[in-house]
Amino acid sequence: MSSPSPALQQQVTLVELVDRVLNKGVTLSGDITLSIAGVDLVYVGLRIVLASVSTLERIEQEQS
Amino acid sequence: VNEPTASSATGIYVYGVVTSETPTALFAGVGGVHASEPTTLIRDSGLAAIAGHVRLDEFGEEALPQNLRDAAWLEAKVRAHDEVLAAAVGHTTVVPFRFGAIYESEAHVRAMLAERRDLVDALERLSGAVELGVNAYLDRERLRTRRAAERSVPTEAGSGRAYMQRRQLERALDDEVGSFAGEVAHASHERLASTAEDARLNPVRPAAGVGPGDMVLNGAYLVPVAREKELRAAVAELQERYADDGVLYELTGPWPPYNFVEREQA
Repeated sequence: MSSPSPALQQQVTLVELVDRVLNKGVTLSGDITLSIAGVDLVYVGLRIVLASVSTLERIEQEQS
Repeated sequence: VNEPTASSATGIYVYGVVTSETPTALFAGVGGVHASEPTTLIRDSGLAAIAGHVRLDEFGEEALPQNLRDAAWLEAKVRAHDEVLAAAVGHTTVVPFRFGAIYESEAHVRAMLAERRDLVDALERLSGAVELGVNAYLDRERLRTRRAAERSVPTEAGSGRAYMQRRQLERALDDEVGSFAGEVAHASHERLASTAEDARLNPVRPAAGVGPGDMVLNGAYLVPVAREKELRAAVAELQERYADDGVLYELTGPWPPYNFVEREQA
């Protein structure tokens, strides 16, 4: 079992971060004047970030 | 917060809430989602919103959907959101808001603070505590190899009976590895939760194909700052207990208590 590279480790941390910042935390739907334009869009963004993470992992795997 | 001259072109982004006694200086050096605008505190009714102006041509209803599709933009903003909240971690209790809470004016933020008395309760409930994340990954192949070595494998190649025995063994190993994944997740979560004030078990993330194996635990634990060491020790203890079975633990944080504010949803 090889330990992940620092770059991969950073991306893992990013996934942790995205998971929390976009999926958790208080949402105040009633109060927000300019709410984020629909939860679905956040998930679109999230998938892009996650996709870029798995792309990076593939690149690292090919290099090692 | 001074209203900029072109007030129609900006909104106020709120990162989270702290008590009104919190000094603004705590956030002085942190850039936020709009780097050129200072992060400040808007106080009302015993609460303070951690806030900063954002431009509506970046965060408005028209611009935001496009920007959310831009991975680089989203990554930078998500990091900035967390950096602001992280400045409070270890200094004062913070109730984190989800990404994208944008208000029209300071008055609207004050009205929210005056109205949302549940945020006062949340600050009390979360007082002095931080969130730690613990992930566990299982290297299934490693566990399988280890379990197989513990059994006698039939060696008479070509014999029908040996073939059947090998098939049976394969199936038994599949079952064992599967149930082990569940057991290790359960035992780990129980052990870690015993050191925490509160605990959350999140769905495991799908395998990335590389790295330490399949995720079997995605846990979040709310611990008093003074007892962080206990949780770290529990992780080390679990790592030692399960290392030979191919389990790898990963600890993240301390985080603002993102996973412990479900009650405060509107």
